[in-house]
Amino acid sequence: MTLPFVIGFPQIVVALLGVIAGLVFGAIPGMTATMAVAVFLPLTYAYDLETALYLLLGLYVGGISGGLIPAILINIPGTPSSITTTFDGYPMAKRGAGERALKIGIVSSLCGGIISLAALALFTPLLSAAALKFSSVEKFLIILFALTVIAALSKGQMLRGIFAGFFGVLVSLIGMFSVNNAYRMVPSFLKSKMQDGFQLLPVLIGLFAIAQIFEEAEEGMRFKVERQDTDSSTTEKFSFSDFKGQGVNIIRSSLIGTFMGVLPGVGGSAASILAYAQAKNFSKHPELLGTGAAEGLVASESSNNGLTGGALIPLLSLGIPGDSTTAVLISAFMLQGIQVGPLFITQNPTTWNTILVALLISNIFMFICMFYPIKWISKIIYIPRQRLYPVIIMICVVGAYATKNGRIFDVWALLIFGVVGYIFGKIKIPASCFLIGFILGKDLENYFIQSISAANGSLIVFFTRPIGWVIWLMIAASIAYAIWDNSKDKKKKAAQKA
Amino acid sequence: MINVVYSTEHWIMPIIVMGILAILLVAVIVTEGRARVQAGKPFFAKPGRFFKENYDKLKLFGTLVLFAAYIFCLDIIGFTVTSLIFVFLFNVLYTGFGKKQMIMSAVITVIAVLLISVLFGVVFNITLPSGMCSITFANFGFTIY
Repeated sequence: MTLPFVIGFPQIVVALLGVIAGLVFGAIPGMTATMAVAVFLPLTYAYDLETALYLLLGLYVGGISGGLIPAILINIPGTPSSITTTFDGYPMAKRGAGERALKIGIVSSLCGGIISLAALALFTPLLSAAALKFSSVEKFLIILFALTVIAALSKGQMLRGIFAGFFGVLVSLIGMFSVNNAYRMVPSFLKSKMQDGFQLLPVLIGLFAIAQIFEEAEEGMRFKVERQDTDSSTTEKFSFSDFKGQGVNIIRSSLIGTFMGVLPGVGGSAASILAYAQAKNFSKHPELLGTGAAEGLVASESSNNGLTGGALIPLLSLGIPGDSTTAVLISAFMLQGIQVGPLFITQNPTTWNTILVALLISNIFMFICMFYPIKWISKIIYIPRQRLYPVIIMICVVGAYATKNGRIFDVWALLIFGVVGYIFGKIKIPASCFLIGFILGKDLENYFIQSISAANGSLIVFFTRPIGWVIWLMIAASIAYAIWDNSKDKKKKAAQKA
Repeated sequence: MINVVYSTEHWIMPIIVMGILAILLVAVIVTEGRARVQAGKPFFAKPGRFFKENYDKLKLFGTLVLFAAYIFCLDIIGFTVTSLIFVFLFNVLYTGFGKKQMIMSAVITVIAVLLISVLFGVVFNITLPSGMCSITFANFGFTIY
């Protein structure tokens, strides 16, 4: 009998390694899951796709989960998505219940991961089936929709978000156009190097890893994590009865996380903040949230792990990444020559099943690696970052160099986009929006040209198909929401000032 | 109506996107300018400081210069030796010249570089930048880049 998915000793080992490495990245404040996946991507060049997936999904789950450790113990979110974990986790740690808080967080993370996995398994095939009916017109419109959703959710900076998205599209167009093999926007001395423009991997690790190092260098890398005495020898011990009456909270928060993960470019912090707010709305004792209530911790952690499955839904069914970490996964698929999109599941059933199994195993490993040895694992947060950065720079160089089988040009691109990402941070242009535009840019162009070529240049073609109308409606709705949300946000700020 | 002409169709999308970007740029300037006027400030904000106050010039520009030099040398010297030099320099740049720090920097550098070089170059057989200090062991079929 052959299994409908790939699993074996090497896969289990790399998944375990992935989870542990992800935990380290997630637990060190300032280093993120995206960075973890990006830095380890070059390792996957040596693997087949399935083994690579085990590693990458392990890193993803570990990276998202590790953030809860410093959030609870030293009040610094390890990843942006664990901001709300600090609200209740740190007060608990301060009163000596750190271990209990950590364990509640870990169990919630596991629940969030599993629930979002179920959503992923259920909805991806449905969405793919719907997307199969898409012609190039709808494909073009759905990418346009993705770009407007980014904007709708860049809180208070809608225009900058859209700008960043389209700027990403423009940069992705640099190089040779595949239909008529003509160059655009390439200086003539670089023509031999830039046939297909900038590669995704150097752009991505430049924006998310190197830019971060520049930012911290600017601040002088003078961080020393204060050791805090949060000994857990008090009376408050963890028990599974902490979860009594939390069932609805867990499911609601996980689904919020999953749903927010589906929307492109949203990211974990928005998901956990929304889930936390809802937990407070529905709570019987809302006044206790923020003072060290298990309820808040549960909401925050189950939602940010809910993100993992959610962000994979649009990636696997439409080819649109839900967040910057899954954007890295796209490049892993590209490297292996697999096209993610509506046909992915039907053409690669084994890979699809493997993704589900790998995600399940990663969640279980995350739980085992964190729940029992939590006392030792939590020491990770004291690793000095300034010792890790030089090594990370080296690994990024290796990754960039190997992107196209060894070109120094890609390493220069890595440095260039590191500087670009650093400048983006200064002038408040969201790098994640830029990245999504960059990833989708070439497809946007191809579908646009295909659509209008088939219609002899007429733009009316974009308004003639019923599915297209639905997507136009969604685009209009997301822009309307963005404008409404933007003005609400501004009024709020104005009211706070007054 | 857009005429799709084979010889120029590669410029259709870039021009549209540049147009959208120009419109968005104007929109950003106008909306943010109007908000400033409403708040009683002039339309154009004074350019704020780009760098943080008291930023660490040495570490910031040091990182940039070292990084560029690192890339420049990779192709000439080869991955392993170049990395040994530059990972150490990065470590010193970030942690200082104290005796204890220097020893720590050296130890971390040697372990990390050899580990990465062997793991990627030999075990995983990934191409690394090679130069004059790369050695190929033809009998054993591997290269230390």
